[in-house]
Amino acid sequence: MKILRPLIPLTVILILYFALKEGVPYLGSQLHEGTWPVIPTSVMKMYVFFIAVGVLLIFTFTDDGFKANIGPFAEIYLNPDRKIIRFVSAVLVGCFGAWVSYQYVKPTFDAPVELRSIHPAPPSNAKMWGKTYSIGTLKNPLREDKENFAANVKAGGEVYYKNCFYCHGDRMLGKGPFWDGFTPVPANFVDIGTIAQLSESFVFWRIGTGGPGLPSEATPWLSAMPVWHEFLSEEEVWKVILFLYDYTGHSPRVIEPHH
Amino acid sequence: MTVMEIKSFSSSFVKGVVLAVATVALVGGSAFSAAGNVENGAKVYMKKCWWCHGEEGEADGPAAEFMMPPPRDFSAGVYKYKTSPPDAEIPRDEDLFVMISNGMPGTSMPSWKEVLSEQERWDLVAYIKTFTDMFEDMDNPPALSLAGKIPSTPDSITKGAKAYEAGKCFECHGERGKGNTQKKLKEGSGAKLWPRNLTKQWTFRAGTTPENLFARVTNGIPNTPMPAFAAETTANGKLSVEDRWHVVNYVMSLADPTNQVSQGQIVIKGVQRPAIPADEKDAVWDGVEATTFRLAPQIIQKERFFTPANDLISVKAVFTDKDIAFLLQWDDRTQSIPGEEKSGTLAWGPLGHDAVAIQTPVTPSGSSEKPYFGHGDGKNPVSMLYWKSQSATDPAGSMLMTATGNHKREMGDAESIGFTTSSSYEFGTWKVMMKRSLVSPNTEKDTQFVVGKYIPVAFANWDGSNGEAGSKHTMTTWYWLLLKPAPSNDVVVIPAMIFALLFFGQYAFSRFAGDKKNKA
Repeated sequence: MKILRPLIPLTVILILYFALKEGVPYLGSQLHEGTWPVIPTSVMKMYVFFIAVGVLLIFTFTDDGFKANIGPFAEIYLNPDRKIIRFVSAVLVGCFGAWVSYQYVKPTFDAPVELRSIHPAPPSNAKMWGKTYSIGTLKNPLREDKENFAANVKAGGEVYYKNCFYCHGDRMLGKGPFWDGFTPVPANFVDIGTIAQLSESFVFWRIGTGGPGLPSEATPWLSAMPVWHEFLSEEEVWKVILFLYDYTGHSPRVIEPHH
Repeated sequence: MTVMEIKSFSSSFVKGVVLAVATVALVGGSAFSAAGNVENGAKVYMKKCWWCHGEEGEADGPAAEFMMPPPRDFSAGVYKYKTSPPDAEIPRDEDLFVMISNGMPGTSMPSWKEVLSEQERWDLVAYIKTFTDMFEDMDNPPALSLAGKIPSTPDSITKGAKAYEAGKCFECHGERGKGNTQKKLKEGSGAKLWPRNLTKQWTFRAGTTPENLFARVTNGIPNTPMPAFAAETTANGKLSVEDRWHVVNYVMSLADPTNQVSQGQIVIKGVQRPAIPADEKDAVWDGVEATTFRLAPQIIQKERFFTPANDLISVKAVFTDKDIAFLLQWDDRTQSIPGEEKSGTLAWGPLGHDAVAIQTPVTPSGSSEKPYFGHGDGKNPVSMLYWKSQSATDPAGSMLMTATGNHKREMGDAESIGFTTSSSYEFGTWKVMMKRSLVSPNTEKDTQFVVGKYIPVAFANWDGSNGEAGSKHTMTTWYWLLLKPAPSNDVVVIPAMIFALLFFGQYAFSRFAGDKKNKA
């Protein structure tokens, strides 16, 4: 069936398309637990376009290849004896076009997309407990206290289990008993994408000022994180930070001083 | 026997025992339990478990006071979920292992199998058994016999319904299984306890298979009022093995798959109808899709609340040219009527009203900035429609409010938007309908509902018998309301035009190219 020959490049294009659309996110989910960013549609379309051009170039590179792949199209459209197959082809192409355009005009009731910066740049200064803190230079005063380290970690754990675990969970995976009632979902501290890549001063700012303390690109109106400086003392917050790093085994990011 | 013979005999006996143990280990896998390492278990316990269960297993860890149900007290040796036979005093090691591995849905106990290895979980089993002398000198009991299992058939379910009545299950679980109890129930410790809503099987603590439920009905739930129906001694009487399997089939049939969160659905789709339904029971509502959201307790602002009773709220919306109506529905184990005697006997804490509220931004702005989801903020106020249930002296009431932050509320003019409510409580379920006009004369303080526009919406709920009042309540985060516009003609016209263009275009191409070819 010479006429089916063009199906080979088409099949190759389809396989590459699905590898991109489904394969990459699947591979990502296997490599790394948690949500994996989807590839934006516009980027996908660009890649699929180049894949299609590339595949067609390869299959029509030689004269023979060109004839074998383009020939059947000429046969369908130009041979007066191919009336039926020409009609079928016209209907199929028409239907495909109608279906694509329907996808654009059909009403969708999907929720509006809300973009949210998860770790926004902190302000240079933050007000908590009636004082102003410089987030850039702030250090955990308990970090160097080696003598009381274990006691401080344990005290931080008590703060965590009396205040934080309902959302962030026993396992620090962001799946406490009420985690599914809130959007965005509570932070997973075991994940390498949260406290492992943040400095202690950033974590201090996020805990102290909570959801409402976020800049607008981080949707402060959605976050269920309480404003902890209204509930906890400054020392308790530093202790709970010690506990979080100790329990998860992560090290806080250290900001090198400017020279 | 000579000494030699005895030696030889004992040596082959030992070999035989070793072989037998190895076989059991291979076949059952459960012989691991014997190999649980207490010392290693203690290490894991002091890292992961003591925060709730306490350093000595006495359920007095720092988090314990914020939990309902409370964490298990290992020093008491009483385990709620056991699959050992009814006459065994202790649970099986496998029960403890499964509990640690899978956690208990609807409680604070998470599933540890993603975090701890199988050996570590068996080590924990060995360690937590040392908190009590209950397990000393006791063999691991065999599994409860599951013989006589009856497959689920309409006939068995009917018999199960009769046994449910005979066993007086309805006294706590309600006539339709919604957990609308007639009695105030307590944990053995005296702590607050609400019976299971049998229609929400995702809240079952120890599995949802018929075998799991059979073990529950047979052994009861120690330390709670749930009786063991294999025993003669309870006030509820005994149920035969056969009847227990029928009850299991009946309870399985009560599962309501819609009585859980609508996964992935965050938009309430309001539909247009010629008229607003007359009340919350109007048949018009049956044809409208419900969206169900998770209620979480208000643990964000002062006073925080940690022990909720209600966990879901279902919402439907209908609109006309002028008005909009919401149907809010939720399972609530108690109709809370302040001042009424029977309500008072069921209540934990001061008896308050049952109540529900809808919150929308005064100025909905699509995907950009919204008001803070807890009562708005100074920049972005929210409008609230509030309903509360009747008391012994007053009928149910409603209010229109505007809020600009926690505890910053003012009353609105409910009459100006024709705000009315109707409500009913039946078989453990509240239905409340709220109706108002789409537009409001007060654009500064009230929401304008526009067809086709995504409007952020959030809900709050109070169970007056569960100590919920003021800031102590359950709530949702922001979701969306969309009043679905009538479909436009473009949906048909544009694809049809594209089809015609492509269809005739191909014939035109064929003729044009054919002519060219012939000429050449």
